[in-house]
Formats: sequence, structure tokens, C-alpha cells
Amino acid sequence: MSNEAVLHPHSVAATHEGHGVHHEHHHHETFISKYVFSQDHKMIAKQFLITGMVWAVLGGLMSVLFRLQLGYPDSSFPWLEDILGKWAKGGHITPEAYYALVTTHGTVLVFFVLTAGLSGTFANFLIPLQIGARDMASPFLNMLSYWFFFAASIVMLSSIFVETGPFSGGWTAYPPLSALGDASPGSKTGMDLWIVSMALFVVSSLLGGLNYIATILNMRTKGMSMTRLPLTIWALFFTAVLGVLSFPVLLSGFILLIFDRNFGTSFYLSDIYINGVGALPNEGGSAILFQHLFWFLGHPEVYIILLPAMGMVSEILSVNSRKPIFGYMAMIGSLFAIAILAFLVWAHHMFVTGLNPLLGSVFVLLTLLIAVPSAIKVFNWLTTLWRGNIRFTSGMLFAIGFVSLFISGGLTGIWLGNSALDIHLHDTYFVVAHFHIVMGVASMFGMFAGIYHWFPKMYGRYLNNTLGYIHFWVTIAGAYMIFWPMHYEGLAGMPRRYYDYSIWESFKQFVELNRFISLVSMIVFAVQLLFLFNFFYSIFKGRKVTSLNPWSANTLEWTTPLRPGHGNWPGEIPEVHRWPYDYGKDGQDFISQTTPVGEEESHH
Amino acid sequence: MSHTATHEEHNGGAVKEIVRVTIILSVLTAVELILGFWMMGMPLDGRLRLAIKGAIIILMLSKAFYIVGYFMHLKHEVKNLIMTIVVPLGLFIWFITAFLIDGNSFRNLRNTYDPYFKERSTIKVEKKAEAKHEEKKTETVAPVEEKKVVE
Amino acid sequence: MSTSTTVTPTKLWSGGKSPFNVEYGKLMMWYFLMSDAFTFGAFLISYGTIRFSTNGWPDPNEVFKSFPFAPEGVHAPLVFVSIMTFILIISSVTMVLAVHAGQNMDKKKVVTNLIWTILGGIAFLSCQAWEWNHLYHEGAWWGSNPFLNHDGTASSTNFTNYFFTITGFHGFHVFSGVIINIVMLIMTLMDKFEQRGHYLMIEKAGLYWHFVDLVWVFVFTCFYLV
Repeated sequence: MSNEAVLHPHSVAATHEGHGVHHEHHHHETFISKYVFSQDHKMIAKQFLITGMVWAVLGGLMSVLFRLQLGYPDSSFPWLEDILGKWAKGGHITPEAYYALVTTHGTVLVFFVLTAGLSGTFANFLIPLQIGARDMASPFLNMLSYWFFFAASIVMLSSIFVETGPFSGGWTAYPPLSALGDASPGSKTGMDLWIVSMALFVVSSLLGGLNYIATILNMRTKGMSMTRLPLTIWALFFTAVLGVLSFPVLLSGFILLIFDRNFGTSFYLSDIYINGVGALPNEGGSAILFQHLFWFLGHPEVYIILLPAMGMVSEILSVNSRKPIFGYMAMIGSLFAIAILAFLVWAHHMFVTGLNPLLGSVFVLLTLLIAVPSAIKVFNWLTTLWRGNIRFTSGMLFAIGFVSLFISGGLTGIWLGNSALDIHLHDTYFVVAHFHIVMGVASMFGMFAGIYHWFPKMYGRYLNNTLGYIHFWVTIAGAYMIFWPMHYEGLAGMPRRYYDYSIWESFKQFVELNRFISLVSMIVFAVQLLFLFNFFYSIFKGRKVTSLNPWSANTLEWTTPLRPGHGNWPGEIPEVHRWPYDYGKDGQDFISQTTPVGEEESHH
Repeated sequence: MSHTATHEEHNGGAVKEIVRVTIILSVLTAVELILGFWMMGMPLDGRLRLAIKGAIIILMLSKAFYIVGYFMHLKHEVKNLIMTIVVPLGLFIWFITAFLIDGNSFRNLRNTYDPYFKERSTIKVEKKAEAKHEEKKTETVAPVEEKKVVE
Repeated sequence: MSTSTTVTPTKLWSGGKSPFNVEYGKLMMWYFLMSDAFTFGAFLISYGTIRFSTNGWPDPNEVFKSFPFAPEGVHAPLVFVSIMTFILIISSVTMVLAVHAGQNMDKKKVVTNLIWTILGGIAFLSCQAWEWNHLYHEGAWWGSNPFLNHDGTASSTNFTNYFFTITGFHGFHVFSGVIINIVMLIMTLMDKFEQRGHYLMIEKAGLYWHFVDLVWVFVFTCFYLV
């Protein structure tokens, strides 16, 4: 379908002949069609972003609450009982509430914030703008994608308020804890709602992903060949492919889980005895099967989270170093390699489950291979920065922060990828530190970088720079102060998922350190609220953008009007003549993608 | 829009092609069935049985090829489209291999370390009527079976 | 739509048109089917994994041996399921013919072939309903398995669990395919596609329907043959 047809689906036949003549769109926009059931990709992106922010605050708050328990296991906080009721009897978070908080924190941040909030936002916002399309291939399915996500959010939110509490068996939802209602309070209604919510989320991400792929392949403007795409688009493309191929496997796993929960099957269950209930009749299932199915999604999911951040960071680093990205093709190649390897390494999460050791060693090999494309990317980012004319905007700082975090979190991945070391390190705070740095905080930084960088395009105003600096420095220092000590705790064998470490002789030494981590996490959380203030304040009161191209960038989104309407370009969609990274070429600061290649221009 | 170029030339041949593929699919299915019947009396762990199973899987894959290639028209699409669809399916190779290897290894583990599991797979259930008594756990089965006896 | 005129292979990827010369809806349908292939793949691979991690397994020829209206105790393995398979293959053929007629803007043929396809789908679903019903009365259901293993040892319930889940999920796809085809039929009768000037929707419905057939090829092999 041509770009015109997207906006005017009913007049396709009429405009069939007159392609190229743009028809000003003149549909009447009401509040509902503009802000609620909008089919404009830019509005849908903002919906994803703001819903993601709500979840980030909730998920972050949960982490603060359980950090309170970990940092101050002996103190009681009467105000906790006021807000949590029976879940914090006597001002103490109960073990059930603790596990429910950890589980919901994980689920919400992995899926709702860093998948929907990150790739949902920026895929929607940037794909049509950067490839030169009027909207997504199917704006309607795009809208549905958001509303399925919204429904998933509501269901997840409602699970917090049920009598038996939300699911509390960890975000990985391993059976039997997730399959048997009798196993724990959270495994009852809370788990049902959790599964329903996740199933809705899978549908949402599928609708979104199909749309992103079809749009990137089919709707690029004239001259925008695949090798002229900004790296953001490449990254979002691979993200969508990962989602489309891996989420259905999770869905299958969940369907089998639903049968185990409700219809007496034993796909994942065998030889189980529950205290107070007795022996269960289930025979012949395998709990490890669920782990395989889960991690077949779960590992690509890590890259679904990470790749969009990588793409945006590549773009922002290049723009703000005033230098072409180093190794454009190598960047695409490494993205591709990561996308493939993402599907081949899932069982490295399962080294100690009784996985066949020989099979495990193959997984070790494949896992360590990921270091190669990751290292290529890191070197390319560093060489892009090298001798660049760096502008330290807030977005740029977060992009550099991403690179730092990706290196320090990635290196510990090499430790964990070795099954021999993993026997010692698995299920300790070392793992917590590793994945929070490399996947959680790093992707969060990519997201912040993207928000600071594209905020002028989203709202026509700047975010406050000073607040941005405070946000950045406190967050990066805080992130390292929170997660760096966890490496030591993990090396000392401190397991994750414990409710109270102070009662263990071996871990008493970490009481002070845990308190320190909790304290920092609260400060960092407060600074995120500062960012939220900056965000919402700047939407209405921020400094106005006066130039069409405030960052002097080459990509197409900066050729649109200040506040583009539905359809993005008022006239013809511009034609593209070059790659997006012509910075500092032939003495020119930047050459927009729409500038034709001059006769005497040098080749890059 | 996709076939405006191709279907003009294929117009007459297209129906012929459909007929041809239908016949091929029917023959392949028939061969599968013949193999299935042939396999019935064979010992469980025989080499030949395994070979036949392999043959059936190859037949299955060739049926899939004809359905996707001709009925779904993929063979007549642009080569790049074919690649974007076929190449990701290669992920299934490792998907299947790893899952099955680990499944097999899990059985070996249980046979080695779980005497109950091992023992259970050696006790024969003599008749169906006795199965009723032995499988105390699956109570739902019993009444239905009784009904069958009455019939 | 008008972008598909002259196509020179070297310029396929240069933007301004689909590199595959395919409209976006069909592209999305293809990638949706890939995604769905992973759903079914995951089910069948799970089934395989559990089978590999179990010592014994029932003999499909002992389980699926009945035939409608045949006397009790008849031993006709593979017969009924082969009829189901042929029904689905034939309905796939009529679907191709409908798509083909659509490309030729031949409304009448589209209608007849769609009707045959829908009938085929309904026939398949009826066969499946009969088989499920029959197995149910033999005591098989989710969580209960009356059948013994090949070697006469007790079998776990996972044989029936997987059978009902996977054929059920496939049946659900057939059912939605029938619904889609009925919608297509109504739209054809209302001249929707004549007005649009193309029958691309039928092609997409066709892709879905063939996919359902394709999945059955795998389900049939995995459950009834090997």
C-alpha cells in the first residue's frame, strides 16, 4: 500500500492514478480520535511512553519497598501498614508481599517498561519519521497494539488488588509454583491475572512487531535503501523480528501452563507433594520444559530490550560527536549477529537445572560468541566518540552512560556464560547485578537518551538541561553504587530472592552494605521523579524549539514541521540521496539525507 | 498488485500446476499411510522402524514444501521474500535439537536416579480391567470405562 | 498500489516501493504465519520433548482405530484420520482455485470455490468433533488417559494432554479459518472486491487457510504416524 493510501484507505481507488499528488488530509479530529483512539503513530508513541512511565514509577516504587525490607530488616515502618494494609502487618513487609513485590517489579519493568515503553515508544515514533513514511503500514493495528498493551496493564494492575495478592513466584513464573494454586497465596487468582495480562501483552507485541517489520520493509521513501537507514531503524527492525519469532513460544508455554493450572494436565508437573495438601496425581511432566520454553523467549527478550537502546545510542553518539558513525555496516552486521545468536543461547539460563552437560557446553560456546558482536559495537561507539567534536547534551550523556554500563554489565556476562563459573555464581546477587546493569539500567539509559534527544520532535519544546544533568549524574553514580557492591555479595555466595539476610551467619557481614544499597536506591528513585517533573513540566512550559533541526542532524524526522500533523510532511515526502551519517564531510558540519550528492563530493 | 506481472503468463498453467500439486500431495500422503501400515507390526526399537519414521518425516517435509511453495505461492514470489521467510525457519533446527536432546537426557537422569520412575515403566498392566485398580490416581477414568463395559 | 509498475531487480531495495513487490497486508500475513508457526512449533516440540523424556508411549494405532458407524471393536487404524487429511488437502485445493479465480476477477468461480472450502472446513471440524467425542467416551480427556503404553505398562496422561491441546489448537485455527472464509464469501457476494478492483483479501485468507492445512501435515505425522 502506498503512503497516501495509509491515510486515505477509502479513497485509494480514486487516487490510484494520481500518485505523487499529495492530498491534504482533512479528516475531522475530535478529542477522542486525536488523544485516545488515535491512529497517528506519534500519538501512539506518546501513549506507549506515558503508560510506560506510569509503570516505571510503580515498578520502581516496588523496588524501593522491597529494598526497604532488605536494608532495614529489623526496623518497622508504621506508614507501610497504612499503604499496604495486611501486607505490611506491624510496619513489616510480609514474606508474601516481599515476593509479590519482587515478582511484579520484574515483570513490569521487563515487559511493560523496557519492552512496550521502550520499543513501543520509539519504534512507533521513529520508524515512520526516519524512513520517510506518513504512518505505519496499518495505523489501525498499531492502535490495537497499544490498546492490547493497555488492557494487559489494567489486568496486571488489578492483580495487585486481589485478596490473595499478585503472583509471587518470580517474573520467570517457573512451575510448579506458578502451576499450582495451592503452592502459595500468589499462585491463586494473582497468577491467573498474571497469565491473562501476559497473553494480552504477547498479542500487543505481535501486532506492533508485524507492523514495524512491514513498515520498514515496504514504506521507505524514495532513495531510502536499507543501507541508508539510520541505525535506530535497523535496531528496531531486528527487535521486531525477535519479538515476532520468540513471543509465540512464550504464548505456547503459557497455554500449557493454563492447562496445568485449570484442566488437570501435567505438562510441567510430576511427583509433587504439597504440605497440607498431600501428594498430587500428576505424573510424567517436566518442569524444565517450561524453563526451555520460557527462556526461548526470555533470552531474545533481553535483546528486544537492549537493541532499541543500542540503535538510539548509535544515532545520538554520531549526531553529538559531529562524526559519522564508525563502521556502519559492521554495526548492522553485529546487530544481525546478535539477533541470530539471541535465539541460540537460551539454555545458558538453565545450566544448573540438570541440563545435559554436553548440551550445556554447546550453549556456553554459543553464548560466548555473543561477546564478538557486542565488542564490535562497543569499539565502534568508542571510535565514534574518538576525537569527535562532542556536545554534551543530556541525551548524549545518557548515550555515553549506556556505553559505560553496557561494557561493565557485558563483561560479567562472560563470567556467567561459562557453565563452570555459573555453578558458583548462579542465583546469587552477582546475577542480579549483571542483568540489572546490562539490561535494566543500560536500556533505561538508552531510553532516557532517546527521550532527551527526541523530546523536541515530540513536543516542540526542550527538556530542561540542568535538571537533565542532575538526573544523569545522580542516576549513573547511583546505578553503579547500587549494583557494583552486589557483585561482591554474589561472589561471596549471597543468594538472591531471600527475604532477610540478617539471620544468616554467612551474610551478616553484608547488613551495612545492603542498607547502603537501599539508601542509594531511594535517592535514585527520587531523582527519577525529578525527571518526570522535568518531562511533564517541559511539555507545557519547556523552552520552545525555534529551529526545525535543533541538533543539526541528518535524519528525516528533522525535515518535518515543528509539530508535524498526521501524515508528517505537509507536502511531498522528501527523497533521500545519501546515508544518514554525513557529519563533518568536506568541511560541512552536516549534510541532510535529503541533499543530493554533489558532483565534487568525496566518497565515504 | 503482487501478481499482476506473474499471473498473466501463468494463467493457463496455473490450474495445471494446482492439479499437479494436488496429485503429488495425495501420492505423498498415500505413501505415508502405506508406511504407517507397514510399520504397525514391527518391534518397537527396530532399526527399520526408525528408518521408516525418518522416511515419514522426510515425506512430511516435502508435503510442507509443496503446500508452501505452490499453494501459498511462495515459489512465485520475489527471491528476497522467500529468503526472509525460509531463513528464520532455520532456527527450528537448533530449537528442535536442543529440546529433544535435553528431553532424552532428562529421561536418562530419571532412569538413573529415580528408582520409582524406572520401576513404573517396567510394571506391565495386565488387562484394561486391572488397569482400573492399579491406577488409583486417575479416578476419572474408572467410571467412564465401566460405562463402556455396560455398552 | 501504483508503485508496482516497472520493477528492475537492482532497484528493488532503493525505497519508494515494496522490495518484495507485495502489499503490506500480505507481508504482515506471511510474518504472522511465521509467528504462528513458532506457536505450533513450540507445542509440537514440547510434545516431542516430553515423549523423549518418558519411557513408554501409547501406540497411536491402538488409540485411533475407530470409524464412525462402524461396529464397536473394529480395528481400522489410520483410516479415519486419512479421510480427515484428504478433506483438508482438498479444501486447500479449492482455496487455491478461489484465489486463482480472484486474480482473474472471476467472481462466480470465487464464490463456488469458497463455498467448497468452507464446506471442507466444516467437514473437517465435524470429523474432529466425532473423534474427540469418541475418545471422550473411551475415557480420554485432559488429565485422564485410559490407554496403555506400547509395551503394556501404564502411560502418563501426557499422551492425551498433548493430543487434545494441540489438535484443539489446530481445530481452533480451522474454526477461525472457516469464519474468515465465510466473511470473505459474504464480502465477495456483496461485490466488495469488485468495487476495490482486486481480490487481495482472498489471497490473504488463502494464505491462512493453507497454513492451517500445513500445520495439519505436521500434527498428523506427529500424532498418528510416528
